[in-house]
Amino acid sequence: MAAHPRPRPTNDEAREALRDAMARLAAGDQAALEEIYRATRVKLFGITLRILGDRKEAEDALQDVYVNLWQRADRYDPARASPIAWLAAFARNRAIDRLRTGKVRGGAVPVEEAAPLPDESPLADALLIDAEQSAQIHKCLAELDPRTQEHIRAAFFEGYTYAQLAERAGVPLGTMKSWVRRGLQRLRACFEKSEAA
Amino acid sequence: MSGPETTPDNGVTRDDPMLAAEWALGLLEGEELLAARGKYATDRDFAWRKEWWDGWFAPLSDGFPGAEPGAHVWEAIAARIAAQQPAEGPAASAANVVALEARLRRWQWVAGLSSIAAAVALVWGFVLAPARSGTDAQQARTIAAAPLVATVPIGESGLRLDVTYIPESERMVIAAIGLTPDGVHDHELWLVPAGGGIPQSLGVVAPGEVHSMPLPHPLAEALEKGAGLVLTREPLGGKPEGQDAGPVVATGAFSRV
Repeated sequence: MAAHPRPRPTNDEAREALRDAMARLAAGDQAALEEIYRATRVKLFGITLRILGDRKEAEDALQDVYVNLWQRADRYDPARASPIAWLAAFARNRAIDRLRTGKVRGGAVPVEEAAPLPDESPLADALLIDAEQSAQIHKCLAELDPRTQEHIRAAFFEGYTYAQLAERAGVPLGTMKSWVRRGLQRLRACFEKSEAA
Repeated sequence: MSGPETTPDNGVTRDDPMLAAEWALGLLEGEELLAARGKYATDRDFAWRKEWWDGWFAPLSDGFPGAEPGAHVWEAIAARIAAQQPAEGPAASAANVVALEARLRRWQWVAGLSSIAAAVALVWGFVLAPARSGTDAQQARTIAAAPLVATVPIGESGLRLDVTYIPESERMVIAAIGLTPDGVHDHELWLVPAGGGIPQSLGVVAPGEVHSMPLPHPLAEALEKGAGLVLTREPLGGKPEGQDAGPVVATGAFSRV
């Protein structure tokens, strides 16, 4: 089901170009990094900024992402993920690592930056992640009860821990863990079903 | 295992795939986070599952509003990369590692693939048998200048040490990426000459890091002649002076790539 149809051509081209640049980078072509940066910085900075809630920290995290990418371009496995999906996960993971180990805020995005939780309508970005898989996760999420959905989305978009989610919802930690785990278990079943199909 | 009668505190079995999911979503902190990272480095199934979840969650990233970073960010990236470019001298050894790593990328890629597929592109030392056959040594001599690579799997742990020798620069790169210090032991790497002889210490392995070191000429020669690698478990700081080396925990052999 197409949850959000959108024009494809530029997206496909952009993705192809990115795939190509990633391959060249893995082969040792340094110039490819700049191309990758140009094509992906807005998206990846959006991610690190949202998670870290601090421009300076988010820019540092972004730097790390690309320097690390340059050092270890071989870690990307084109057979497993689209480059932008992989880079997005990479950037988010780095930002969350920073959040967990650093002295950064933890939870409190400055008010003026605290946009509402992103909804399901993706941006008109030239580099959107695979439409089919995107539709599938939204579908699987939608099958969860609204409360669980909201907690999982908050964890993903705000970088909340279990403890923060529990505090925010005013429930005991154990209850929150139980809700979220049950949700994750359902998601897994739903994803696996779609993979088998 | 999601019986409706289960208590809220114990609602769902927390198996590895669940831990991977929690980590991918970013829920973990503290010791649990460390444990997950450790598992990722050592447990292939777990690593696969973590990436599986990452892949499934990734499309949600389209919901993050984009943002333009400052122009200085690219400059900083470019500067950091330039700083890691060609570098000479001991002060630049960290940079050297990176430069070598970049050059080695393709070979490491091969090593990664072969370890996954358990293919035989590399010689794996599963048995504690340091002796190398004469043919190995001969082969080693005939194909000069290509890097020598050894993968040293450590028991059944899934951990491994990647050791690469680059003849043209006479440097050795030791990558102990998956290893984590246990706080009680260090591991010391030894070069064991083909056909026996006195093992030469290559030093204590730095867990979780990649190090490059110049290889003294006699050692390089021994290596070219088919020396093997042995990893021993030692007290912190390495084998104490005047004592026997600790137990051998892994061995490996070099092969040309």
